[in-house]
Amino acid sequence: MIRTIRHITLWTALAASFAAFVYSAGALYGIHRDNDLIRQLISGKDVAVNKVISGEPELRLARAFYFKRKHRYDEALSTLSLIMDKGDRNFQAKARYNLGNLYLEQAVQQAKAMNINEAMPLAGLAKQAYRQSLALNSRDWDAKYNLEVAMRLLPEMDRVDMPDDEPKNQKSQLWTTVPGFPRGLP
Amino acid sequence: MRILLIMVLSLLGCSGSIDEPVSYFNVETPRPFGYVNGDEIPQRIVIETRSDISLQPGSLPAKGRINRWLNLNQVTVKQTGQRYQIDLLYQVFYAPLEVKSLTLPGFTVQLSQGEKNINQSVPAWTFTLSPLRELVARQSEQGEYMRPDVPPPLLANTQALYGLSASLTVAALIATYLGYLYGCFPNRLRRTLFKRALRKLAGLSKADMEQALTVVHHALNSLNGQPLFLNRLGEFYRRNPEYLQINAQLGWFFTYSNRYFFSDGMIAIAQDFQQLKDLCEQCRKIERGSR
Repeated sequence: MIRTIRHITLWTALAASFAAFVYSAGALYGIHRDNDLIRQLISGKDVAVNKVISGEPELRLARAFYFKRKHRYDEALSTLSLIMDKGDRNFQAKARYNLGNLYLEQAVQQAKAMNINEAMPLAGLAKQAYRQSLALNSRDWDAKYNLEVAMRLLPEMDRVDMPDDEPKNQKSQLWTTVPGFPRGLP
Repeated sequence: MRILLIMVLSLLGCSGSIDEPVSYFNVETPRPFGYVNGDEIPQRIVIETRSDISLQPGSLPAKGRINRWLNLNQVTVKQTGQRYQIDLLYQVFYAPLEVKSLTLPGFTVQLSQGEKNINQSVPAWTFTLSPLRELVARQSEQGEYMRPDVPPPLLANTQALYGLSASLTVAALIATYLGYLYGCFPNRLRRTLFKRALRKLAGLSKADMEQALTVVHHALNSLNGQPLFLNRLGEFYRRNPEYLQINAQLGWFFTYSNRYFFSDGMIAIAQDFQQLKDLCEQCRKIERGSR
């Protein structure tokens, strides 16, 4: 009786571990296939949309990366907006940083073309995305730098004045809301 | 008179420190310089109070946006007895054109003693923030220089690899054990025949002589691959020459077994049982290779 029970238990355990092996092998194959697609997108080749829809958030991030490189901003934005809350903190910080870049690049282009009304909200959205990214990962130097680019592009109205630097900044209190970068030293 | 005066003065001195509601207060801050846009600044406030005084957590600044350029990301209060350790994690978002002095706002921590409130103020803290970009930034080919997108990360396969190797190992171990149970490793089984027989003998006594003899017969038969009798011992030694050294004991065993099973009125004594055990131990030594 005990022998029978032992054999049944062992055979069941063997079947379960074999099933786990098959499942892990399938998962590994899926990861390998998705990584190939991500590499393909990074190298500048598009992939079929149905492979991305059913795939992992990393795949969507890669597709948004591809769209942005091709200056297809609307498609990149719609792809990125679907993965904002997916993945771990680090992934979310990356997605928000790339979203900020997407807005900032458009804002810079609009500011260059003197479309001020279009550039302002885009720069505001870029700043918001970078702030969120930095709240998730405060060690991202690229996000810090680009946030500063966005802040310089669209300076904020309420200046922070310390009591001891009042006279020095008296002249520069007249901030303009017109986006743009200084083109020369005074 | 003088002694009395000294006593009164020392008592007055003691009473002052006992009545102090906050016995220790310290604000620990990091370096006050070298911060840039997006940096986090930790601040630790340590308060030690008298035993009947407790901290009002509601008086601490709330998590979230403090002002346009400052966020409070984390507020942690750790209490050890009457010692409160308040950890605040600020994050600054400001793009100065030159090194600029900024101030973390001060606030008041409330401590309660019954219905009475005691205020302990945390002073403002000034630090300097540096710009990351020069005033007239360099231009790239696309226009304004900015940092590029972060390349999408590849999917991590570590977990799947662990799962694969763990399930494969478990499956292989179970399959090996099942194989062993089904006799797929005859050499391995042959090397533990007398070990198992000895284990069985250990649970028997001279009263179970019939069973004990059967156990040893079974072990010898398994080793031989077929039933072994006294007249086939020669053939057995040809195949297993190492057992020739206990020829006398094996001869005794077969003779005794014949007499026990086929003669009437045979009574097993302790000495016979011990001799049987000794034989089995000799066989075990040979099978293990130590003899």
